Amino acid sequence: MASRDRTFYLVLAASPAVLFLCLLLGPAGFGLPDWTAQREILLLRLNRVLAGLVVGAALSTAGVVLQAILRNPLAEPYVLGVSSGAGLGAALAVLTGFSAFGVFALPVSAFCLAIATLAVVYLLASSSGTAPSLYSLILSGVIVSSVCSSLLMFLVSVAPVEGMHNILWWMLGNLDIASDLLLVITSGIVAAGCLGLWLLSPEWNALTLGHDMAHHLGIRVRVAVGAGLLLATLITAAAVGLSGLIGFVGLIVPHVMRILVGPDHRRLIPAVALGGGAFLALCDAVARTVLPAEIPVGVLTALVGGPFFLALLRKRRKEQWIA
Amino acid sequence: MTRAIQIEGMSAGYRHQPVLRDVSMAVEEGEIIGILGPNGAGKSTLFKTLSGWLAPLSGTVSVFGTPVHRLPPLERARRIAVVPQELDVPVPYTVEEVVMMGRTASIGRLSRPAAADRQAVERAMVYTDVADVRARPLNELSGGERQRAIVAMALAQEPRILLMDEATSRLDINHRLEIMQLVERLNEESGVTVLMISHDLQLAAEFSRRLIMLNQGSIVADGRPSEVLTEAALRQVYRCDVSVREDARTGSLSILPAPRTRAARSGNGRRVHVIAGGGCGEEVLRRLALSGYAISTGVLNRGDMDAEVALALGAGLVTEQPFSPIGESALRQALELALSASAAVLTAVPFGTGNLANLTILERFLDMGRPVFVAKGIETRDYTPHREAMARVSALLSRGAVLWSNVAELAALLPDSPASEPPSPETGNPGSAAPLPRLPAVKSPDPD
Repeated sequence: MASRDRTFYLVLAASPAVLFLCLLLGPAGFGLPDWTAQREILLLRLNRVLAGLVVGAALSTAGVVLQAILRNPLAEPYVLGVSSGAGLGAALAVLTGFSAFGVFALPVSAFCLAIATLAVVYLLASSSGTAPSLYSLILSGVIVSSVCSSLLMFLVSVAPVEGMHNILWWMLGNLDIASDLLLVITSGIVAAGCLGLWLLSPEWNALTLGHDMAHHLGIRVRVAVGAGLLLATLITAAAVGLSGLIGFVGLIVPHVMRILVGPDHRRLIPAVALGGGAFLALCDAVARTVLPAEIPVGVLTALVGGPFFLALLRKRRKEQWIA
Repeated sequence: MTRAIQIEGMSAGYRHQPVLRDVSMAVEEGEIIGILGPNGAGKSTLFKTLSGWLAPLSGTVSVFGTPVHRLPPLERARRIAVVPQELDVPVPYTVEEVVMMGRTASIGRLSRPAAADRQAVERAMVYTDVADVRARPLNELSGGERQRAIVAMALAQEPRILLMDEATSRLDINHRLEIMQLVERLNEESGVTVLMISHDLQLAAEFSRRLIMLNQGSIVADGRPSEVLTEAALRQVYRCDVSVREDARTGSLSILPAPRTRAARSGNGRRVHVIAGGGCGEEVLRRLALSGYAISTGVLNRGDMDAEVALALGAGLVTEQPFSPIGESALRQALELALSASAAVLTAVPFGTGNLANLTILERFLDMGRPVFVAKGIETRDYTPHREAMARVSALLSRGAVLWSNVAELAALLPDSPASEPPSPETGNPGSAAPLPRLPAVKSPDPD
């Protein structure tokens, strides 16, 4: 459809513009910081905008792919327990003192436990050597997730005040990245993961029709589902390691973009990656500029996302994913 | 020429409970075959293994000489297309997008569809009459339009084998015929091999040159429609009575519920006494109740499955203590109840010393000149020490009792002329109540 074409290119063009706008925003005032005089400020803003882009792109792309694989409009990057696994990893790193070994300790710990959580969920769901059904995946995701959450709550309850504060601050999510190298590595993982998921677009298109139908159309269903879950978890875990838990981006952005550019994943994935990145960078810029005190960006996305989520649920009653 | 489909000794289904057992069949390229059979016969499992979605538990399934599960997926999609009964599409794909997905196997990753792809999609949409709605989301269309778009998607695959799983059952008669004519034409022009599962026997007979009938996981008939769709075979497989007539002018078959079944459906409240037990009488009791007979049964032990069924159906019932042999008084009561019925039926119930007394009821029926119907195979169900049950049933048969082998046959045998009606049974008898429990009538709320 012609109008979808137009909005697709509009999204592609508007996202860099929004990212540039974010560079102009900051507590130091509106405007592009001078390269010679305010170099530090400019680098700081570049760092944050890039972090917003990477984390937003990762969460949104993972969300869109999980919605296709699980054929469920309420799926999002954390649905298979990645968030609770990462949270547990972060808490362990803080409480064991492992995080004192450098800026990489906490992200790596969170990343590893997130991946381990997916492995456990997948193994639990695929009993007796058969490919896991969608329902068993979602169900074991929920169960593993709540086990991890209660372990996390236990760790928080026994943690000293200082440690508890660190864990909570991390769980709220923020884009203040301590290490440039960490940001670069994460960007690399996310870029590669998003590219891989984009290349699998025909798979996601066909899987949306049902896994058996995708099979009839010539898709290797087990391979595609496995690769999709792995890549989506990889980029989600990388993003969570970088920024902590930022909610709702991975749920809202896929739905908004599906309305704007249509459900064809060949266009949806680039649109979601760029649009999600720009959205999160903008939320972050607003969070540290417009409001009197800087609030964690995860709070703002959830505040925007909550009402949207309710509206989505109401529309869902029409028996389709908002069209 | 290699065969389009070759199945040898295949079992398929669940690991511990195969749905299909040791099935072998061969299909030449260019055939149109109707797959028939009652629910649960294994038709869908057959399609799932043919399409490679389900691996066979044993045996082989080959398509054009290659085992299906060894075909590379893209190659398989170019050979076999499946039209499901319905497709749930949760996101708002347009019709054209969905039909284009039929080309998944031939469009390169991320590249635009080639001219050949566009042409195949266009042709499929025109053929199935969905070109006008191409830009509309599939899930906004009517059921018929949606189904035609799904047929279009399968046609866009340009397959050599088309598997249609009740693909037209949700279409109106006009589009049903159109789709079938389209399939016939594809078959004639491009030699596409078609297998279709259908519950519409007549449609299957009309458009197939060969029918395969499945029942309980095996092929029970395979041949031309007139060979497969016989009244005897249909009664055996579907357990209901139908009449098959060949139109003298066109030679096409018409399949209708048999007139005598329809007559039997109005049992007019005539009563039949059923000797049952252990769940063996369940089907007979249900079918007779549905056909409008009043039913009574007994003697049964309390808590017996058939006793539960009889209670649910509102049948007259005489019971004995659980796990006890039939006593004097229960038998007397049963005789009283039974002898106001116009016929008696012996179901496929096993006999031991405990329930042997029930045969007395049947003997009294014959004494009074009323018909008795006996299920075949008493020799396999006699657990009395001296084969007494067999001897007494043989005696019944020699005195004029009639054998039956399935419920449809029994329904046809039962008397339906009012002449055979015995003197009107005394009122207040539980067995003469309406055969099905009636729900209280709902009172209309608006005053009239």
